[in-house]
Amino acid sequence: MSALLEAKGLTVRFPMPKRNPFAKRDWLEAVRGVDFALAEGRTLGIVGESGSGKTTAAMAAIRLTGPATGEVRFRGEDLLALGPEEMRLRRRDLQVIFQDPYSSLNPRDRVSHIVREPLDLLGVGDDASRDARVEELFSLVGLRRDQLPLFPHQFSGGQRQRISIARALATNPKLIVCDEPVSALDVAIQAQILNLLVRLQGEFGLSYLFISHDLGVIRQICQDVAVMYLGRIVEQAPRAALFSRPLHPYTQALLAAAPSLARRKSAGYQRPAKLKGDPPSPINPPPGCAFAERCPKAQAKCREERPTLAPDGDSLVACWFPG
Amino acid sequence: MALLEIDELKVTFRTRHGPVTALDGVSLRVEAGETLGIVGESGCGKSITALSVMGLVPSPPGNIAGGAIRLAGEDLVNTSPRRLRRLRGSEIAMIFQEPMTSLNPVFTAGDQIAEAIMLHQNVSRAEALSRAVALLDRVGIPEARRRADDYPHQLSGGMRQRVMIAMAVSCQPKVLIADEPTTALDVTVQAQIFDLLNDLQRETGAAIMLITHDMGAIAEMADRVAVMYAGRVIEEGRADDILDLPKHPYTRGLIACIPNVGKGEGGEPPPLAEIPGVVPPLHLLGAGCAFRERCGSAFERCAAERPRLLGPAAHPAACHAVEEGRP
Amino acid sequence: MSAADPAAPRKAARAESPLREAWVMFRRNRPAMAGLALLVLIILATLYGALLYGGDPYEIVWAPHEPPGATPEFPLGTDYLGRDIVAGLLTGGGPTLAVGAAAALLTMLIGVTIGALAGYFGGAIDNLLMRFTEFFQVLPALLFAMVLVTLFSPSLTMIAIAIGLVSWPQTARLTRAEFLKIRKLEYVTAARAIGARDGRIMWRVILPNALPPLIVSATLTIGVAILFEAGLSFLGLGDPNTMSWGLMIGANRAYILSAWWPVTFPGLAIFLTVFAVSLVGDGLNDAFNPKLRER
Repeated sequence: MSALLEAKGLTVRFPMPKRNPFAKRDWLEAVRGVDFALAEGRTLGIVGESGSGKTTAAMAAIRLTGPATGEVRFRGEDLLALGPEEMRLRRRDLQVIFQDPYSSLNPRDRVSHIVREPLDLLGVGDDASRDARVEELFSLVGLRRDQLPLFPHQFSGGQRQRISIARALATNPKLIVCDEPVSALDVAIQAQILNLLVRLQGEFGLSYLFISHDLGVIRQICQDVAVMYLGRIVEQAPRAALFSRPLHPYTQALLAAAPSLARRKSAGYQRPAKLKGDPPSPINPPPGCAFAERCPKAQAKCREERPTLAPDGDSLVACWFPG
Repeated sequence: MALLEIDELKVTFRTRHGPVTALDGVSLRVEAGETLGIVGESGCGKSITALSVMGLVPSPPGNIAGGAIRLAGEDLVNTSPRRLRRLRGSEIAMIFQEPMTSLNPVFTAGDQIAEAIMLHQNVSRAEALSRAVALLDRVGIPEARRRADDYPHQLSGGMRQRVMIAMAVSCQPKVLIADEPTTALDVTVQAQIFDLLNDLQRETGAAIMLITHDMGAIAEMADRVAVMYAGRVIEEGRADDILDLPKHPYTRGLIACIPNVGKGEGGEPPPLAEIPGVVPPLHLLGAGCAFRERCGSAFERCAAERPRLLGPAAHPAACHAVEEGRP
Repeated sequence: MSAADPAAPRKAARAESPLREAWVMFRRNRPAMAGLALLVLIILATLYGALLYGGDPYEIVWAPHEPPGATPEFPLGTDYLGRDIVAGLLTGGGPTLAVGAAAALLTMLIGVTIGALAGYFGGAIDNLLMRFTEFFQVLPALLFAMVLVTLFSPSLTMIAIAIGLVSWPQTARLTRAEFLKIRKLEYVTAARAIGARDGRIMWRVILPNALPPLIVSATLTIGVAILFEAGLSFLGLGDPNTMSWGLMIGANRAYILSAWWPVTFPGLAIFLTVFAVSLVGDGLNDAFNPKLRER
C-alpha cells in the first residue's frame, strides 16, 4: 500500500516549568518515537486513555501542536520540514474535526462565515463559487439553507459537529484528523455523525486519522488500529486481528473494560483482565515497559527492558509476553 | 413498600420560554440491595430526578409541582429543610459526575471524609479520621493512610472518584445515587469503579440509583431499568428484558445505535442504526408523544394523544404502537 | 440518513447575534439603564447646555461667593472671582469627559496591544513585555503623572496622555489573561487548521471574544481618568486656560471652609458621571455574562 501520511519516529516534548532557576529542566514526553502509516481512502484509529498521547501525536503530525521531531511524510513531502507559509497552504489538504462542538466554533461568527472561512483563507475559488460551495456543504452534512445565517449557539451539539465537518470538508482535503469527534455527543447523535463520516469517506475518498478512547467507535469506523499507552504505540493491527486476537495485555484490558451489552449483572459477570491503578505520569516514565506496573503478566524483564514493536501474525505488538 | 418510592413526581422550571415541565409524572421505585438504572439522552430529566430525591433541585427556577418521594415511607417533598439535611449524607448519598470539582481543593481527602462522618455521627475527630482511612482502603486506594493526607489535586481522576464514593458510603446510606459517575474517567478506571460499586452493594445492601446514558453501563450495573424521554418514563423493566426485548421504539433505537465491541466478529461492521433528529426542547412539546418526530412507527394517534405507561406491571411501555400491537 | 434534525426550531431560523442578545440583557437591567440615561443626560448637557444657557464661565459677573439660591440669575452661586458656577459646570463638563474618554482610549490602545502580544506569543516575548508592564505598574501613578505634566505643558492633551501612561498596565494584564485562556480553546486551533495567520487569529478570532471584560474595564477606566484629572487639577496642575470640573475644584479649594458651593457642585458632577459610567460598566459586565442570560 502506498501511504498518504507516514510518520516516522514522531516525538513531541513539552518543557515543564523549572523548580528553581538552576534546576535542570524537566520535559514531558507526550509522544515518543511513534511510527504509523495511513493509506489513501482508509481510516487509521488511534485508541488510548487520557495521557496516552493519542491526540498530541495526531495534532503534531499536521503541525497543530508543540514542536515535534521526527518525520511526517504527506505524499512523500516532510511536513515537519516545511516553512510556515508552505505549511499554511498545505492545510488545504489536511483538515481537522475537533472533539468539543461547543468550543471548536467561534461563538461570534455566523456559521456561513465559519464554513466559508477556509475557502477565503486558502484562496479556493472565487467569491460566487465560495457561496455556492458553502450551500453545497450545508446540504452535504444534513443542514438546511435557512440555517446559514445563524450563530453556533443556536445549534445542538450534533448539528454543531455537522458544521465542523462542513468546515473541514470545504477545501476538499485528502486527510481529516478526527479528534474524538463523537465523544461529547449523546449516543443517538453519535450514530448519526459516525454514519455521516463513513458516507463522506466513501463519496470523496477521504482518509481519516481517527482519535478515540472508545473501542466500540474505533471498531465501527477504522480499518487499522493503533493502541497507544504513555506516548508509545503498544499494538498496531488491522481491525479484524485486533478485535478477534488482541495481543498486548493492555489491549486486552481495554477490551475487557469497554462496557458491553453482553456482560450482564444478572449473569454475575466477572471481568477477565482487571487492571489496577492509573496510568503512570509521562514525566520521568519507568525504564522498562511503561505498562509493567499495571500488567497482570509482568515479569522482572518487563521492568528492566523496554519491548519494541515486533510483528506477530498480522499485528505489531510491543510486549515480551504477547498473546 | 419499596425502600425509595417516587410517585407521580412533577417538576417545573421557569425559563425565558415560560414555565416548562422538566419531569411529568415520573414514578419509580428502588428496593434495598437493588440497582435501578435510569437511562436517556441529555435533557430527558434523569439528573433532575436524582436532584429531586436529594432535595437539591435549584429553586428558583425549579419547583416540585406535585407528586411524592418517600424514603422508607417518609415523605421527602414536604419535610423540613433541617430533616432533609440530616437525611442527606446519612440515609441518601450522591456521587457526582465530575470528581474534579466536587471535592474541596483546600482540604485533604481524609479530612473531607472525616468531616462527612462527624456531621452525621457523634464520634471524635480521631475516630472519624481512622474510619476515613479504613474507608479509603475499602474503596481500593493503595497506601490509604498516606493518601488520606493528600489534597485533591494530588490525586488522579479515578482516585478522586473513589474518595467521593468513600465519602458517600461513610455513613452507610440506604440509597446511593450515582449521576454519571464515570463519564469523566478512562474506560479502565470506569471498569474499576463499576466493580467497586457492585462489591459495595453486595456488602452493604444499599439501593443504587444509577443515572447514565450508556447502555453498556446499564448491562453491567443495573437490575432494573427505567428509560426516560423528555421528562417521562417511557419504558421500565428488568435489565435483561429491556436489553433483549425492548418494546418502545426509542429504547430499541438506543440499543441499536451503540457501536459495540461485542457485536459480531472482526469484519466490516454494518452501518449503525440511527435515531434521526434530536430531543425536542421541552417548551415545544405538543399534545402527542414527544418521540413521534423521530419515530419510525408513528401514526395519527401519536400526534393527538400522549401515550401512558401501560402493559404488564413488570415491563410497561408508553407507546401507542406497542399498545395496539402494531409492527 | 436523516436530512436534518427535524426537531430544530423550524418556524424561526432567527439569527440572534451575541451583541444583540447582550443588548436585550442590558435593557432588562434597571440600574444599568438608569446609569445609561444619566450618562446620556450629562453628555447632552455638556454638549449643548452652555449654548442654551448662554453664560460665559470665564467672565466675572457678580460678587464673589454668592451662595446658591440667593440670586435667581445664578442658581448655584458664584465662585471666588464672582464667576457663574452653572456656566462653569456646563462648559467644564466637555473637557472633563473628553480627558476621561481620551485617557481610557489610550489605556486600551497600549494595554490591549501589549497584553495581546504577551498572551498570544507567550515565552520570552511574554516575559519581556510583562517585566516592562510591571515597571510601569510599580511607578507611583499620581507622582509620575505630576512629573509628566510639570515637565511638559499642563494642557488637557498632556493630562490625558499622562493618565493613559499610568493606567494601561492593568488593562494589559487583563488582556493577557483573556488571551491565555482563549488561546487554548479549540476554535483557535481550528482557525490555524484552516490556514489563518497569527495576526488574523489575534485580532479577528481572539480579540472579539476577549472584548466583554475589556469593555467593562474601559468604562471603569473612564471613571478613574475623570477622577485623576480632578486630582491633578486639585493639586494645581490642571490646564489653567480650559475650564474643567477638576479645575473648578482646584481653583476654589482654598476657600472651601468659607464657601462650600464652588467646590461641591463640580464634585457632585464628577461623582454623578463616574457613578453613571460604572453602572453602565456593571450592566455591560452582566450583559456579556452568558451564565446570567438564561434566567
